[in-house]
Amino acid sequence: MLSHAPGDTLGHRLDPRTKLALQSAVAAVALARPTPAWLVVLTVGCLLALRGCGLSVRAVYAEYRGALPFLLVAPLAGALRFGPPWVDPAGARGPLLAVYRTLLLLALAAAYVRTTSPRESRAAITRLVPGRAGRFLGLGVMLVFRFLPLLQSDLRRLREGSWVRLGDERRVDRRLAHLAVGALERTFRRADALALALRARCLSWNPTPPALAFARRDYAALGAAGALVAAAIAL
Amino acid sequence: MSTDTESVALVGDETVENVVRAALFAALTGVFSYVSFQLPVSPVPYTLQVLGVFLAGVFLGPRWGFASLALYVVAGAVGAPVYAYGASGVGQLFSPWGGYLWSYPFAAGLLGSVAHGTGARTPTGEVPLWRLAAGLTAATAVIYAFGTVGYAYFGDLALFADPVRALVSAALVTAVPFVPGELLKAVVAVLAARSERLRDA
Repeated sequence: MLSHAPGDTLGHRLDPRTKLALQSAVAAVALARPTPAWLVVLTVGCLLALRGCGLSVRAVYAEYRGALPFLLVAPLAGALRFGPPWVDPAGARGPLLAVYRTLLLLALAAAYVRTTSPRESRAAITRLVPGRAGRFLGLGVMLVFRFLPLLQSDLRRLREGSWVRLGDERRVDRRLAHLAVGALERTFRRADALALALRARCLSWNPTPPALAFARRDYAALGAAGALVAAAIAL
Repeated sequence: MSTDTESVALVGDETVENVVRAALFAALTGVFSYVSFQLPVSPVPYTLQVLGVFLAGVFLGPRWGFASLALYVVAGAVGAPVYAYGASGVGQLFSPWGGYLWSYPFAAGLLGSVAHGTGARTPTGEVPLWRLAAGLTAATAVIYAFGTVGYAYFGDLALFADPVRALVSAALVTAVPFVPGELLKAVVAVLAARSERLRDA
C-alpha cells in the first residue's frame, strides 16, 4: 500500500499546504470543466506532478486497481434508460469523463501521500483550520495514523482466534457481533490507557507547532494553481 | 516559528477522554473498512465501514460521534489509509463514491442525537431499543441520500438535466445492492449496544 516515503524530490520539498491547495485547484477545475480539452491539460499537469514526486503511473495504477470496478459502474448507470431503447450509449459519455477525472485526482492524492509525512499533515491542518477545531483535527489525525496499525492487529488476532475455534461456521450476524464487541472492548481499553497517559503529560490546546514556512517554490506552485483556476473561469 | 510561552491551555480531563475516544473510533472505522464479508443474497462485497459510523453514533453520542467521523474523513484526505479497501486522499472525496464519505459525520451525529437526545449522553446499555432503531434508520437514510446524490453529481449522470433518471439509476447502483448488508450492520450495532461486556462503556 502507498505510504509516505522520505525523499528529496520537488514534491517532498513543497509545503503541505501548497500541495493541498494544488489538489483543490485541480479538483475545482476538473469538476467545473469536465471537457476532454481541459482533462488533457490536467493530465499533463498530473503527469508532471507525479514525475516531480518520483512516482510512476504504474505504481499509482497498482494502488487504485481495486477501486476501478466500482468506478466503471458509473458509465453503465449513465447509459441506462427507463424505457425503450433502454440503453443509450451517448449517456455514458459524461460519466466516463467523470471517472477519468476521478483517476486524475486519485493520482494527485497518491503523490501527496507519498511525499507528505503525517507530522507535516498535522501541522498543515492545525494552521489551515483555525482555533481548537484545528488543534483537535491535528491531534486526532496523528492518533489515527498511530493507532490504525495497532487496532488492525487487534482485529486480526480476534479473527484468527475466531477461525481456529470454527467461528466462521457460526451465523454471519453472530460472527460480526462477536467481532464488533471484541474490537470495541480493545478500542475502549486502549483509549482509557492513552487518555490517562495524555492527562499525566498535561495535554494542552497550544503545544509548540512544528515548523512550516513557504519558500519561493511554494509561491510559484500557488501562482500556477491560481492561474489554472483563473483560466478555467475565464475560458 | 513562534512559540507561545504566555500561557498553557490544558485540555480538560473529560475532553481528553472524548478526544481520544473520537480518534480511536475514527481509526476503528478505518480498520473496519478493510474487513469485507459476503451475503448469499447479493454478489456485492460489503465492508464494515458503516458499522464504524453506527458504533460511533451509539457509543460516543451526537457531538463526539460527529467529531470522530469528521476526523476519519480528514485523516483519510491527508493520507491515512482508512477509506474503503485502504484508499486515501482528497481525490476520494470528489470521486463518484465520495458522497458516502461526506455523509458519515452527519449520519453519526444524527444517530447519536436520536439515540441519546441532545442533553447528556445516556449510558449506552440504557438507550431504549426504539431510539436505537429510529437512529439507525435515520443514519442509513442520510448515508444513502448523500451517497446517491453524490454519485449522480460526481459521476456526471446529468443530475440537473434529468434528476429523476439520474437519481434512480444512481440508487440502483449505489444503494439498492447494499441494503441487506446495512440491515445486518444495524443488527450488529444493536447487539453491541446491548452487550454485557460493554456495559461500562
